[in-house]
Amino acid sequence: MSRHDPLDKALRELAIQVPDDAEARGLRVVEAAYAEREGRERGGPEKRWPLPRFALALGLSALLAVLVLSPAGAAVRGWVDEVITPSTPKPEPTLGEIPGGGRLLVQSATGPWVVQPDGSRRLLGDYEEATWSPRGLYVAVAEGRTLSAVEPDGTPHWSLTAGARVSDPRWAPSGTRIAYRSGKAVRVVAGDGTEDRVVAGSSAPIAPAWSPLGDPTLAYVSGAGELRLVDSESLVGLAAAPALDDLAEIEWGANGKSILEASRQALRLREVQPRKLPPRPSVEASHSLPLPTGATVVDAALAPERETVAAVVTNWRDHGTRSSVVLYGPGEAKPRRLLTVPGSLGEVAWSPDGRRLLVAWPAVNEWLFLPIGRGRESAVANISRAFAPGHRNASFPRVDGWCCRR
Amino acid sequence: MAELYSLHWRRAYRAAYLVVHDAAAAEDVAQDAFLAAVDALDRFDRRRPFAPWLHRIVVNRALDWARRESLRRRAAQTESVFEPLPPPEEIGGEMIAALKELPAEQRAVVVLRHLLEYTPGEIASMLDLPRGTVNSRLRRGLDRLRETAEPEAVGEERR
Repeated sequence: MSRHDPLDKALRELAIQVPDDAEARGLRVVEAAYAEREGRERGGPEKRWPLPRFALALGLSALLAVLVLSPAGAAVRGWVDEVITPSTPKPEPTLGEIPGGGRLLVQSATGPWVVQPDGSRRLLGDYEEATWSPRGLYVAVAEGRTLSAVEPDGTPHWSLTAGARVSDPRWAPSGTRIAYRSGKAVRVVAGDGTEDRVVAGSSAPIAPAWSPLGDPTLAYVSGAGELRLVDSESLVGLAAAPALDDLAEIEWGANGKSILEASRQALRLREVQPRKLPPRPSVEASHSLPLPTGATVVDAALAPERETVAAVVTNWRDHGTRSSVVLYGPGEAKPRRLLTVPGSLGEVAWSPDGRRLLVAWPAVNEWLFLPIGRGRESAVANISRAFAPGHRNASFPRVDGWCCRR
Repeated sequence: MAELYSLHWRRAYRAAYLVVHDAAAAEDVAQDAFLAAVDALDRFDRRRPFAPWLHRIVVNRALDWARRESLRRRAAQTESVFEPLPPPEEIGGEMIAALKELPAEQRAVVVLRHLLEYTPGEIASMLDLPRGTVNSRLRRGLDRLRETAEPEAVGEERR
């Protein structure tokens, strides 16, 4: 068949449109793999990931300078001759304006930080955990046996000392109550620090979840592994059902009709009848969200105003561990993949308006901001250092909240 | 690496797509091919051009995927949990539909020959096949595609 044959022409000119963002997704994966490889060759864990980003930032000249030093580099040097156009947006070197706005609560080794929309940040103090109040006017913080409420600038409001170590504080959507765990007990205290009481004597080490409807219903996981709903005022048990094995997290959906259960091996949405009057709320049927074969769940989060679940899952592939961010839309049987990267991703957090995801990528010391739908992906580098100034080997911080819905 | 990627990714994706006919799988195949290339930098002969090496990986991985998918379908196992990406708007022409109907091995040879423009000898080397096998797959594939591309002409010829 000659070049002038109509069939040859038809084959050569087949129009195949590449899916949006596919090229950028792949580039990120390949860059990271190349970065890992260069790091291995250099042998130092400190340089393993950040170096290639830096090299990219320096541009092709720096890349060539590195490449000529090794046989592998020499191979790449030959290919670079074919290069036509420079490419790839690179991560911002420092945290500036938060994409999509809002304020972040970030837990680092030095304590929780509040990050303002312009990127400025303040360390709240030497606390182990923190959670926003519903409108972001206060932060509940825990340290040892002490639960406190502080303002976002760190000004303390009140403190109480519990009988055992305090963990997992969660402020109710009404703003009038805070649930927390003290030892194995679940307790609730009024938003002004008064009326502290036990709600359940035994619980699994999982943060409780408030009903989003403003009523005093609290979901928690009992020591026996049951998902339980309790009226935190009357202390009446409202409903119970077996929870997932090895449950790591529960979250109550914005419309009050479902509770997300997440373990390493499974994701499940449990239907709830959100009744305020008798008959009281009940825990109904559940349905599992499908995971890729062999995948484990790193983190999952429900969108602020709809039943969409974002999850980070990780899997072993031919070239090592790969992690993906996937979305489970309401009523959709299958998830949609937003991103896949080599190595491990960390937690995922929704922006207050539900239009973006913040995904932690500790391996390259970055946060990724992923748009849901239209918008531009962005990334911020050097996250560890931003929340541990002066520490060369700071651990990667954890995002504990992105505030706030109005 | 970024520049290399930009230069070669689209052709790699197109080739992978035309073999696997699944946008998500094509993305995975193209990505995996680049990862394999990164992984094998030390073994690459730098005197040779990069594209044929990459395309060899792409097409072989796409073939692997297509064979696995075929086995999976035959075994009636459950579908991937990931929703396939929606078909790109410009896909769906008769030629692509006809390509999809070819056996994966014929598709791969046609793609290498007419999309990526390798000679039958180069294709034989890439796929580790005898040149005669390449030629016969190419001929059979093109005959079937020609029936799609020129149905009237074929009909008239038969009359």
